[in-house]
Amino acid sequence: MNNRRSPLASLFIPAMGLLIAHGALGAAAALPDRSAELQSALADYQRTAQTPAPKTNPMTAQKIALGQTLFFDPRLSGSGALSCASCHNPGLAWGDAMPKGLGHLGGRLGRRTPTILNVAFGEPYFWDGRATTLEDQAKGPLTSAAEMNMPAKDAVALLQANPGYARMFSDAFPGQSISIDTIAEAIAAFERTVVSATAPFDRWVGGDDTAISAAAKRGFLLFNGKANCATCHMGWRFSDDGFHDIGLPGNDPGRARIAPGIAQMAQAFKTPTLRNVDQRAPYMHDGSLATLAGVIEHYDTSFVRRASLDTQMRPLSLSADEKADLLAFLGTLTSVDAPVTIPVLPN
Amino acid sequence: MKQITLALGLVAMLAAAATSADAPVTVNQKGLQFSVAELSVKKGQTVVFFNDDRTTHNVTVSGDGNGVSVNGGLQPPGADFRMPFSKPGTYAISCGIHPKMKMTIVVQ
Repeated sequence: MNNRRSPLASLFIPAMGLLIAHGALGAAAALPDRSAELQSALADYQRTAQTPAPKTNPMTAQKIALGQTLFFDPRLSGSGALSCASCHNPGLAWGDAMPKGLGHLGGRLGRRTPTILNVAFGEPYFWDGRATTLEDQAKGPLTSAAEMNMPAKDAVALLQANPGYARMFSDAFPGQSISIDTIAEAIAAFERTVVSATAPFDRWVGGDDTAISAAAKRGFLLFNGKANCATCHMGWRFSDDGFHDIGLPGNDPGRARIAPGIAQMAQAFKTPTLRNVDQRAPYMHDGSLATLAGVIEHYDTSFVRRASLDTQMRPLSLSADEKADLLAFLGTLTSVDAPVTIPVLPN
Repeated sequence: MKQITLALGLVAMLAAAATSADAPVTVNQKGLQFSVAELSVKKGQTVVFFNDDRTTHNVTVSGDGNGVSVNGGLQPPGADFRMPFSKPGTYAISCGIHPKMKMTIVVQ
């Protein structure tokens, strides 16, 4: 166990002291002021202005429109019943609200469906990081026999035979033929547009002290201090895009299958974003925790102790009030995102 | 006297150059990134990977076709991992925990 206090935790002690000195704890009031330390810490959570895209697959309106159409088309599955959106449902925070995903003919998959929210920023992909690009990721579920069960050549033949799609591909990829690569590039281009909007937390970061409650502000301090969440859930997306064994039971090897030889990667899984997290139950890579309160209990004391456990995992001794403050903070990360248009599918 | 001073100065400069050429080079890891994307070092030179971040890292080194593959192990904040590069070639460096952290080292 690593019982050292993180530098960021130390940084927050003065801010917490300030709260206590002003009697603000428990009061429904804004922070007394913004210390330089607090302002500096908040700067770590400033949103990135631009959505990244690889030079090999620049985003164009035609490509995004094609990708969105492909994303919602169940004909791109062996059963004709599953689209990308079946699991990554925009109405369910781009997830499926189930503990484990459902694949071909209703077969239960091994892990929970991760959201695609803010996926443009978060390579590598999948819970075990086996895809290094979003384009590679897009090919995975499409062609997997357990998931959409659509062999690449069948997908290409299906789209070539559809005049509407032929036109869309011609517009999006002038001079190129329909291939599994252009299919994946279009889907990836659309997925890169799925970015969470401004949340109350962002407005607080931007200087609006009325944007979030006093409880949420205390939760932010806990998140970055005693609760040690920010060690992995860092930055504006609240993810280090790293892999950690956080002590969930089970025997899924996780990242170790992709990166053998690194002891701490046994049963390690990618840090998920916390944006809109309260819209995305159940939680964890195995969907084993039904509520965010359950997640906090897990980190507080309920994790499995084993050799590969991340060195940052340690009992937190959080009080009931502190757990409530963390929950209040997590709720401020949810944005009201623009409605998503389900496209008319071409024939 | 002026010539002697210049000569001594030249000797000192040459000595310093020789020392710096062999001195360890430090690469930092703050903010989930290596402080340089590419680094060129001399054969036998040591690179010190210093973890000045607030989270644990794990440097891995993989040579391009020269058989070198090294796992630096867990590196908590404040720790360093020293790696002498004795074989010329190009090396891919990454973090085993945070695979977005990547850099290249070329050993002359």
